[in-house]
Amino acid sequence: MKTLIKIKPKDYKVGDIVKVDFMAMHPMESGMRKDKDTGQIVPAHYINEVNFLFNDKMLTKMITWESLSVNPVLTISLKVSGAGTLKVLAKDNKGDNVESSVAITPKG
Amino acid sequence: MERRSFLKGFGAVSACAALVPSIVSAADEAKKVTGPNEMSVESALAAITGGKPVTPSTKVSLSAPEIAENGAVVPVKVSVESPMSANDHVKAIHVLATKNNNVRCANVYLTPANGEASFATRIKLGTTQDVLAIAELSNGTFLSAKQNVKVTIGGCG
Amino acid sequence: MRKLSMCTALCSLVLCGMLNAEESMSMNAADKAMYAEMLENNPAAMDVAEGEDMFNSLIGKDAYAKVLGVKVKDLPKTIAGFPRMVKVAGKVVTLSQSLQMAAADRGHPVPKLESNEMIKMTAHVKSLANGLETNIDVKADKQMKEMAVLGQHVFEERRGGRGLSCNSCHSPDIVGSRLRMQALPDLGAKETASAATWPAYRMTQSVMVTFDKRMQQCMKNALLAELPLGSKEMVALEVYVTNKGKGNTMQIPGLKR
Repeated sequence: MKTLIKIKPKDYKVGDIVKVDFMAMHPMESGMRKDKDTGQIVPAHYINEVNFLFNDKMLTKMITWESLSVNPVLTISLKVSGAGTLKVLAKDNKGDNVESSVAITPKG
Repeated sequence: MERRSFLKGFGAVSACAALVPSIVSAADEAKKVTGPNEMSVESALAAITGGKPVTPSTKVSLSAPEIAENGAVVPVKVSVESPMSANDHVKAIHVLATKNNNVRCANVYLTPANGEASFATRIKLGTTQDVLAIAELSNGTFLSAKQNVKVTIGGCG
Repeated sequence: MRKLSMCTALCSLVLCGMLNAEESMSMNAADKAMYAEMLENNPAAMDVAEGEDMFNSLIGKDAYAKVLGVKVKDLPKTIAGFPRMVKVAGKVVTLSQSLQMAAADRGHPVPKLESNEMIKMTAHVKSLANGLETNIDVKADKQMKEMAVLGQHVFEERRGGRGLSCNSCHSPDIVGSRLRMQALPDLGAKETASAATWPAYRMTQSVMVTFDKRMQQCMKNALLAELPLGSKEMVALEVYVTNKGKGNTMQIPGLKR
């Protein structure tokens, strides 16, 4: 699972509220779609849990479902309390999981 | 309409119609198929609230397009007015697509460290329907907002 | 004969009714703004990042600039002018073809035009020109002049089972009419910015698609035989359509329905 984390805006200070965008390349199969060639139902395959941690402390926990679009994008807010690491742990229903992180570096 | 351009347009319309099966009938057919996580709005609401009342509120702002160009990628943004303090914050934002086979899209559990109660994503909508956002507050109450999204039939290709 | 005209009248009635209904189904300004905002979080950004790694390991800016015969600092404005005449090729090529040349020049295996690797590299390299205006010059040399003429011919030639051409749907006569709820785009318009916004993430397919691939898909749906990627006709078509939207600001990867 390929992922990308973006912090917006790029420059921020302690106390600012920034947006955290998490993107993942994932088919998000609903388990209801038929394969065009085989006619068989494509088994459900979707990201079912995404955890955002700041300095290893839970910031936001998400339970997600197959109704999210293919290659989903999830956006939350973060109040910058200081420098540190924002970590995102994403899991899918087939047990694949990925950890990605980005440094939070406030200016001033 | 000028006859020449009309005919050209008609040719193009029928060419596409011939090739792309109507999305409407595809959606009707999909209704018969049951997904692995099928859940109705009633059951999903009961699971979220445990039977407590949900009050529609202007404190919850839900933005989604009135008309979605493409049901596979519908942008949804939710924000809730809240000080996000330890004593008074939004514990969770739940997004439901009321006519999808599994109405649940995302259950987002926030903390005061978020600074503001906001969540945005893109969802799949099988058909024209209401999108519902439920905010669960730290005092145990539930607020909601909803918006109807019309899903149109796509163009050529 | 009478039966035929009756039929035509009936069809036109039905179609006009449809068009009116569709008018009320068009997106409002707020909806459009929401879709525009989605560009900021384009899933294709992940592909472009991957394309950057591939480009740097396979070719690199120095080697690419050498093949194009320009300085590294002039790469962005050169990139904004594709398709263009490249001296060492002796002909007009697309940006993807120039990457193939650069890969070959470095003795690497040449990625196919339709490969994911090439699509991602193309998007990254084109994104180096983001913020600049497309500056294709169809009068630059004899080869470009020829390609522009051929491109217009390809654009207007009626082919396939229904005798349609690109122009059947994208001529000024019909732009703005609706085809299954979608307004037909003016390929030269600022808001379409066709050449300046491809490769783009296609929401209907959940993948990033190049400009020439998009034109192939359009041909397929209009029942025209698809012109092969990299063929003289396809390159010429890209020259012609790129020139229609010359001066639009590069914004790669784009985000399309």
